[in-house]
Amino acid sequence: MRATTMDSNRLGSLNRGWTGLVRFGAYLGVMLGVSAMAMFDKSYGESPFLLELLSMKGVLWYGSAALLGAGLAAILGAVRPSLHESRLVANLVPWLDGVLLMIGLAFAWAAFEPAASQIDYEDQSNLVSGRVIMAMNVVFLFSAISYIAHLFAPESFIGRLATGSAYVGAFLGGSALLLRWYESYLIDVEIGHAPVSNLYEVFILLFCVTTFVYLALERRYQARAMGAFVMTLVAVGVFFGIWLDSVGQADIKPLVPALQSYWMKIHVPLNFVGYGAFAVACGAGMAYLFRHRLEARNSQSRLLRVFPTLEQLDQLAYKSIAIGFPAFTLATILGAAWAAEAWGGYWSWDPKETWALIVWLVYGAYLHARISHGWHGKALAWWAVAGFLVTVFCFLGVNMYLSGLHSYGRLS
Amino acid sequence: MNSLGDVFKSIWVRLGSMSLAIVLLVVLSIASVIGTVLLQNQDQGDYLQQFGPLWYWVFRSLGLFDMYHSWWFLTLLGFLMLSLAACLWRNVPRMLKEMRSRHPWLSERAMDRFRLKQQWLLGEEEVASIKQRFREVLAGWEFKEAAEGDMHFIRADKGRGNKWGYILVHAALLVILIGGWVSVEFGFRGDMAVPEGQSEDEISFLQGTERKYMKMPFSVRCNSFSIDFFPTGAPKEFRSNLTIIDDGKEVLTQDIIVNEPLYYKGVRIYQASFGDGGSKIRFRLFSLDGSAKVRDIETRVYETWKDENSGVSIEVTDFKPFNVENMAEPGQPKNFRDLGPAVEYILRGPGLKPVKIKAFMQPFIDNDGINQGSFLLVSLSGDAKDYQPVSLGLDLTNEDEWRLFHAFYRHLSASKIEDAKQRNLLAFRAALAEVYGDHPPERVQDAAMHVLQAMRMLPKLPWPYIPMLEDFDQVYYTGLQLAKDPGMNIVWVGSALLVLGLCIMFYMPHRKLWLVIRPVDGRMRVFLLGMANRNEMAFAHHFNEIFTKLTRESGRTIT
Ligand code: HEM
Repeated sequence: MRATTMDSNRLGSLNRGWTGLVRFGAYLGVMLGVSAMAMFDKSYGESPFLLELLSMKGVLWYGSAALLGAGLAAILGAVRPSLHESRLVANLVPWLDGVLLMIGLAFAWAAFEPAASQIDYEDQSNLVSGRVIMAMNVVFLFSAISYIAHLFAPESFIGRLATGSAYVGAFLGGSALLLRWYESYLIDVEIGHAPVSNLYEVFILLFCVTTFVYLALERRYQARAMGAFVMTLVAVGVFFGIWLDSVGQADIKPLVPALQSYWMKIHVPLNFVGYGAFAVACGAGMAYLFRHRLEARNSQSRLLRVFPTLEQLDQLAYKSIAIGFPAFTLATILGAAWAAEAWGGYWSWDPKETWALIVWLVYGAYLHARISHGWHGKALAWWAVAGFLVTVFCFLGVNMYLSGLHSYGRLS
Repeated sequence: MNSLGDVFKSIWVRLGSMSLAIVLLVVLSIASVIGTVLLQNQDQGDYLQQFGPLWYWVFRSLGLFDMYHSWWFLTLLGFLMLSLAACLWRNVPRMLKEMRSRHPWLSERAMDRFRLKQQWLLGEEEVASIKQRFREVLAGWEFKEAAEGDMHFIRADKGRGNKWGYILVHAALLVILIGGWVSVEFGFRGDMAVPEGQSEDEISFLQGTERKYMKMPFSVRCNSFSIDFFPTGAPKEFRSNLTIIDDGKEVLTQDIIVNEPLYYKGVRIYQASFGDGGSKIRFRLFSLDGSAKVRDIETRVYETWKDENSGVSIEVTDFKPFNVENMAEPGQPKNFRDLGPAVEYILRGPGLKPVKIKAFMQPFIDNDGINQGSFLLVSLSGDAKDYQPVSLGLDLTNEDEWRLFHAFYRHLSASKIEDAKQRNLLAFRAALAEVYGDHPPERVQDAAMHVLQAMRMLPKLPWPYIPMLEDFDQVYYTGLQLAKDPGMNIVWVGSALLVLGLCIMFYMPHRKLWLVIRPVDGRMRVFLLGMANRNEMAFAHHFNEIFTKLTRESGRTIT
């Protein structure tokens, strides 16, 4: 197995040079345009944000910003040719393309939405997003099984099938969430809100983020064997999501006043970037421990040929944490900023906050043990796994067992 | 013999050690867990009941009920600050020096230790071109050249400022902790309840186990408070219109809602809760002695009205203008409906068991639109969990029905007819004629049902009268939270530094490449060496890319 391969294929080259740079500028423009609209357009606040985005006015805001961004990028690219080789651009543009694809998919699903008269708050079972999510569940389960099968048949096409279905699942999930956002307005304009307000919704977000972070690592480091562990974690989550649905937790409900803030749209997704990356680190840690046992028992095992080396797995866990830690830090800080605005104090030692701090300290200690004590290998692999258990408690356990200001994430 | 100076020095060294840092992080995490499992700042009586006297005192003396402000927790945070300071003190000068100095030359031994290493065997002119290519391929890197003996070194650096990441992150943590300390030391946070139309200038807050009060430099008047609802009946928005009065003058009037506070003189005013601010309540007392008498009385929420004659008292505890309930049968889709205004009170009297009652103003209209008469919720235990519905039968908002009931009762008692059914029918007819004359109500059946149900229920009630909600004049209080936090901006500065530092630390690794040229037997052996202080896997890949690019240019390789 080669240590690293880069996507030197045709698609990869699209992300560099002019095309990549100009697209990057356009995407950046859209993001700034949307933020500017949220900040400076007077009618924000009273009017539902998503509908505003979909309106002509919204299109004008970010459309012009996109053109401006693309133009600026083109000029900058002409002035400084070294920008064509920018790694930042090459790394970020595919993600943004992915978001665009998801938005496109969401539009496609929206065409199948039932007529307005058929949409009812009391019975939301005929909404299309529910079906897309079901498809996502099935695809993720299939993907997890394929990844496991891949361990035993590394040469067969099943590995590619596993990767492909992971992509499909993540895109289904992401587009279903976007669609759900739209559906919340179909139910009632007053009820509409971003789909990051309850456990069911953030679970789907978590699956998608985890899968995408994992796929990014898989693509760059050929670490497909790790998928058997990461996607199994996702599959376990899928069952939990199905259970949530079965007990009626999947309904779109109006937002309590405390959550009616633009902070929610920033704070929550960013937190889940952290959680997702930690989940991948846990998968890498498990893969490490698995390989370690295999080596100790039977150094001739055929399975060993599928796996990245111990050192690579160790690095992959570190790398995921290096993605998750800054994101989680930023998310926590933004949470504090929100708390300062909504509750009058940036830190109240509320159980959710405290557990976020604990998670942060646990990974902080991981990084210290690694960097300065030169710890590597087995102990840190266990640490990555245990750290994720703490994360799961922070994200699930706190909602289920402890009370506090964050209790709207509760099962009701 | 150690001098005092040595002792201090060794303590300082320990403080700055990484092991202490890890131990502190782990101990702080574990301590924090306790505070989330044990509910903080609850009523002391509840704790006593929950843990029993022994554990209550043990926990209390350890400060576990307000753990995050206990001396030992703050000491731990203090140690973390010391540790961070010591650690910065020790490492920063060294790191600054390291970042400045970059020696191009490498010893033979140092060269052996590189994990990323490739080499070529080239001719003179090829060496010149590869040197130039090296600089081209690594556009944006910093170069430094040196020669030692017949060896020639070119060093290229990228991300030389990586150690700033470390410095920023740890300094930022120190700044955040200092900001937190400033917040606690010089800030305050407390609650204030202001009824509509009134003003207030004092906040209250919990300190340890006691409630404390504090005067504000201004007073807040609540002009109005309103709630907006979703179609489902869930609250959508709480809005208070406030006026700040400073030195007797009205200086500012503004609406606040959750997530959008008001800011005045360094104090932020937040919408936190609401409740009844002493609404005016008019009760109509329906006598149960058969006299058909009614009388109206007036009182307020939180006040007790006492009837001097009978000794009965009504303590009004709450009033709600909206009472949204799910009216669906179990298993049916939810059906939220507003049952209208209701008042809650406790009824006491000599020889009566005190009961808690919630009386609705309007009669109950069932899902088929049929008026089922007035009703109460009655709790014998005084707990809202134990409310039982009591259907009074009569629609007490309709005076005629009350009169009809008494007329029926009188006719029934006066009647001599043996057959019960016949007797009821005749008595009811007579009562109808007495109350309505020649114009009986449209739905005689309903009236009959109401009267029969009332015959079953009313005689069973032990009270001298039923107090029903007749009218109200609602006043809310708005629950505000006032906070001043001078440390907040320090914390934001620290947070920004933290994020910046983390990004530098993780995403701008220090990468170093060397081109080492050594003549061997009339030819040149050229080494490409690479090292990164983070994310070696990605760098290994990049290293190979660079090597391939250079090789394509120069042709040959040996490995
Ligand atoms: C809340 C407390 C702390 C947090 C969250 C924290 C965070 C971090 C992080 C994220 C890293 C980078 C790890 C990496 O490069 O992957 C790091 C490195 C380091 N920390 Fe801390 N730190 C804390 C406290 C301390 C303290 C108290 C010390 C003093 C002993 C310390 C000493 C170091 C050292 C020496 C490094 C390695 C720097 C290097 O060589 O690159 N840290 N810390």
